[in-house]
Amino acid sequence: MPGGAETFHIPIGATREASPGFELKLDGEVVVSARLLPGFDQRRVEIAAEKRGWQEIIDLLADLFGLCPHAHALAYILGVERLAGLEVPPRARAIRMLVAELERVHSHILWFGALAYQAGVDNLFLECWQERQGVLGLLESLSGKRLAYSPNRIGGVNFDLTPGLSADIRRTIDHLDQRARRYLNLLNRDPLLRKRTHGVGVTTRSQAEKLGLVGPTARGSGVLRDIRVDAPYSGYEAFSPRMVLDHAGDLHARLSVRLKEMVQSIELVRRILAGMPEGALVVEDFDGGIPPGETISRVEAPCGELFYFIKSSGGDRPARIKIRTPTQSNLASIPALAPGHHLADVPLLLAGVDPYFSFKHSAAVISGPDGPHPAWTWDDLRSFGIAHYGG
Amino acid sequence: MVDTQKNLLIAERLLEGRAAGFRHPEPFRLDADVEAADLNAAVRMLFNTEWGYLAAITGLDRDRQDGEFEVLYHFCSADAVVTLRLRTGRETQRIPSVTGVIPAAEFFERELSEYFGVRVEGIPGEIRATGDRSHAGKSRQFEG
Repeated sequence: MPGGAETFHIPIGATREASPGFELKLDGEVVVSARLLPGFDQRRVEIAAEKRGWQEIIDLLADLFGLCPHAHALAYILGVERLAGLEVPPRARAIRMLVAELERVHSHILWFGALAYQAGVDNLFLECWQERQGVLGLLESLSGKRLAYSPNRIGGVNFDLTPGLSADIRRTIDHLDQRARRYLNLLNRDPLLRKRTHGVGVTTRSQAEKLGLVGPTARGSGVLRDIRVDAPYSGYEAFSPRMVLDHAGDLHARLSVRLKEMVQSIELVRRILAGMPEGALVVEDFDGGIPPGETISRVEAPCGELFYFIKSSGGDRPARIKIRTPTQSNLASIPALAPGHHLADVPLLLAGVDPYFSFKHSAAVISGPDGPHPAWTWDDLRSFGIAHYGG
Repeated sequence: MVDTQKNLLIAERLLEGRAAGFRHPEPFRLDADVEAADLNAAVRMLFNTEWGYLAAITGLDRDRQDGEFEVLYHFCSADAVVTLRLRTGRETQRIPSVTGVIPAAEFFERELSEYFGVRVEGIPGEIRATGDRSHAGKSRQFEG
């Protein structure tokens, strides 16, 4: 086996075909190389979408992308509306933007909690997931769903913002503003979090540019890349956020960027509520037809740029939908970043790019110098990392 | 913010001599038709000059009856999107890998190869991206 007698091959990620994973090659406990193993999930979504009507696809996307259903629905619907030549009413655009920023807040909280869990800071993990419930409750009040929510329809939104809900949103985000600042303080002061994140997975700006990294992962390496700023959509033209950058390029920087963005999103929500236009929620003269054509639609999901290619042949369903998630772009960095790191750093290294794949029961050592090794679950790998760092 | 039209013009100039034709399907987009022999040169011009990053690779059936197939390489720079369009056929679904220029393209190329049956020549390593699946590698023409 190349790499010497201490070389192991470890696939990490779900072994079922629904999710992508990794295969690591180790020399002792040091990563020698890493390979990405994408699953079938993505293409199934695309093919499933191409078998549904234009409007039906919104629910499909919301159901399948549980952490950022609105971002997917929005990327899709902005493209469809461009093909149809629809001008969406200002209030509908503002509601979409509001939901997008609430989604960013709950996604960043969830991610911070998930990373704390991987580091063995379990109290913080539980606290984060508890706080996230507040935002999910707001989204449920708006759309009737806590997870697969989407207020969207072609030409506008299905749900309006009531004065009572606006007050609830203000109250909740005021509370979360304090929590986000507390998390930032913890990140900078907690010895274990500092030890597990400082200097881990360092990516220079040049590397990040060349790897095509997106979202907070890219901005943590100083890359100026945010679709809300670069190619504003759905009202961001008037509510452009200031890009949060960190030039350190390590895991700590990526964490810091996300938590600062959470504070920024909360401020954006306040501004959107304060400037919420009155008026219609949906285009009135849309006949449902989508003319032939192709378009590309990009939005800034919580994890980064979400890319949709949409083709219409003029029928009642799309001829082609291509979806490239931010996870696909950011996971591609792991083969470049992982080599040289201790196996104990791998759980946080992976969690650091905010991947969207199954974390549980999905790692297994399949071969080593003495033949097959006992299977490792992802929890085994997490425990290994925590024990290594004395947690 | 970078001016979109100026950005697209720069891309068009970079691709001159490496693309057979240009179109502007939308104000923020430039489509460039490339031949397989010119693909890596075109990719190199966009990537090595730091015009933008490879955002995605799309496989597209142009004509399922005739087996005409197209591979789209989408590069983004701020608001501007440049798409290199490479046509191939069902019988000749062989295209060169761009991983020599952009190593991170491996994920996109493996997905293209295994979901559409396009043979991407030059992808490093032998491991299948999606494992040994009986239905992997079939072109979308057969998926109904």
